[in-house]
Amino acid sequence: MKQDFLSGGVLVALAAAYYAASGSIAESTLSDEIGATGLPRLLAMLLALIGVALIARTAFVALSARRARVPAEAPAEEEEGAPLPRAIGLLLIGGAYVVLLPFIGYFLAVALLIAGVALYEGAARSWVVPAAALGGATLYWAIFVKLLGVHQPAGTLFQGWLL
Amino acid sequence: MTTFWDILHLLTATPLVPVAILGLTWGILGGALPGISASITMALVLPFTYTMDPAMAIALLACVYIGAEYGGSIPAILIRTPGTNSSAATVIDGYELNRQGRAGEALGISLMSGVVGSLFGLAMLALLTEPLSWLALAFRPTSYFALGVLGLSVIASMSGDSLLKGLASAVVGLMIATVGTDPISGVTRFTFDVADLLSGVEPVVVMVGLFALTELMSQSGSTAVTQLGGSIRIRLPGWEMMRKLRRSQAIGCFLGLFEGLTPGGGGSVAAFMSYNEARRWSKTPEKFGKGSEEGIAAPEAANNTVASTALIPLLSFGIPSSNSTAVLLGGLLMHGLLPGPRLFEQNPQVIDSLYVGSLIAIIAQIGVGVLILPACVWLVNRPRPYRAGFILALILSGLYTLNNSPFDLGLALALGLMGYLMRLARFPVLPMILGVVLGHMVESSYRRSLVLSGGDFHIFVEDPIAVGLLGAALFFIVFSLAREYREARRTKLQETHS
Repeated sequence: MKQDFLSGGVLVALAAAYYAASGSIAESTLSDEIGATGLPRLLAMLLALIGVALIARTAFVALSARRARVPAEAPAEEEEGAPLPRAIGLLLIGGAYVVLLPFIGYFLAVALLIAGVALYEGAARSWVVPAAALGGATLYWAIFVKLLGVHQPAGTLFQGWLL
Repeated sequence: MTTFWDILHLLTATPLVPVAILGLTWGILGGALPGISASITMALVLPFTYTMDPAMAIALLACVYIGAEYGGSIPAILIRTPGTNSSAATVIDGYELNRQGRAGEALGISLMSGVVGSLFGLAMLALLTEPLSWLALAFRPTSYFALGVLGLSVIASMSGDSLLKGLASAVVGLMIATVGTDPISGVTRFTFDVADLLSGVEPVVVMVGLFALTELMSQSGSTAVTQLGGSIRIRLPGWEMMRKLRRSQAIGCFLGLFEGLTPGGGGSVAAFMSYNEARRWSKTPEKFGKGSEEGIAAPEAANNTVASTALIPLLSFGIPSSNSTAVLLGGLLMHGLLPGPRLFEQNPQVIDSLYVGSLIAIIAQIGVGVLILPACVWLVNRPRPYRAGFILALILSGLYTLNNSPFDLGLALALGLMGYLMRLARFPVLPMILGVVLGHMVESSYRRSLVLSGGDFHIFVEDPIAVGLLGAALFFIVFSLAREYREARRTKLQETHS
């Protein structure tokens, strides 16, 4: 119940921010009648309307339940999956990869990423972790860089000698 | 007119058979890599075709496309990560079947439904390419707009328990699609002076973020062991199962044909629409989303049909209806081949190689698909912490190949967080993906239509194709809402009685 109330609020806030951002879209002499801002503003209003409807529906259900003196809804089933801080930790490891990639290069970044995620996810601290990390980095480097010829950053820190 | 002897010559005097099998294998491997779409898989092989015989080069590219469409379903079923855009719908029931310990069966259904769809698509390609060319010429911006609306109408039945949340998700998807350069005036929108946003947000980034990264985040710290069994093998469906699936496969084939013929449709739209229709016409619609065999058969038949039928507008008029056919167009032009009626007259060997090579790839798909799978399953069975590390590294490596920019990686991570929060708040992500995929087409064709009519909305009812497509969209929405209402009413009555 609270979750839907909060979600409705977030939708309204998102719609307002998006509408405000549409104000910075430049006018063009090539523009048609609707213009570059036409659809964004329509979408912003639509999203705000949906947000308000979600809040109203939640409030209506809560009020009806209070009048009937019954619980507003059955206790929510426990959400599947990791708690938010745990999930964000994984995201931060991914973020560190993105930041480090241009500096340390693809090979080392991938090795660190695999090792970091494996340890974060509970792999035992043994020789297997660095072995898997280096093996994985070699495999991906061979597939992407050597076999497919896909460009990956060489890295500025080691002058690219690791790639 | 191609004779039996021409085909025999192709099979015996040219390297068409190994070329087709090589292309198929490459396609399955590329399609199975999350973040690497069918078009990227084709683009990666494109430079290697430069020195090849044009007929073999085009056959190779077409076979890569066929392979990638099947390959995309392997990670969709095994690790809830669609390898290609068009296999996103396969995730829904494919992964559920995997969770029930029926991964081999799910893969078998995907493979055989793909073969059925590909064979049907190839037959249609051979039959319709020239005769139907007039239809593609008749498409106007109003028709494209109606086509996009038809795709979006699927949202009504993809919204789970709350239509409001489904609509909100779709609107946010449409908002994401507005980022980049305005299709009519060329001004930039919501780019915040970030050069990487000028060309908009790639749908594949959104899909990888919302599906794969969200799943990795949700599983973080999980101690559950997900062993697939030492030797998961594809369990090809028997006659009885194929009979059971024929309705959903027919729906997939029909919608695949329709979407392949209509520029801008593509495998993703066909897959989602056929999933929706298969559920609507199923005798057991309640199984959809909980591990329905039909829920795999319909989208896989559809996206494999599109892999062939999307070539019809391409070969007839040079209109690429998707990214993958755009790459194939690049291959044709690279070899000095211009699509159109003259291609059939002046280079019949290219057309013959394309048809025969595709047929070889489709038949070989059953054997190659079975042989390649153990390698994929071996990967899925590695300890979860290592698997998570390898999957994240693979996703981020693949995403980098899109534009060679770390920006796409950051964007995908942010979308992963968004998907995770949406999952917590019970918002469906599928409508958002549809919004992103179709947003550009809906807006640009809507505005182009009004530019043509000088702002007169009657233009939409003056185009019979648009009227037909919009009517179909209205039918889908009303039908879905009526069904949801009936189900809700039935549940309420059951609760009252109990």
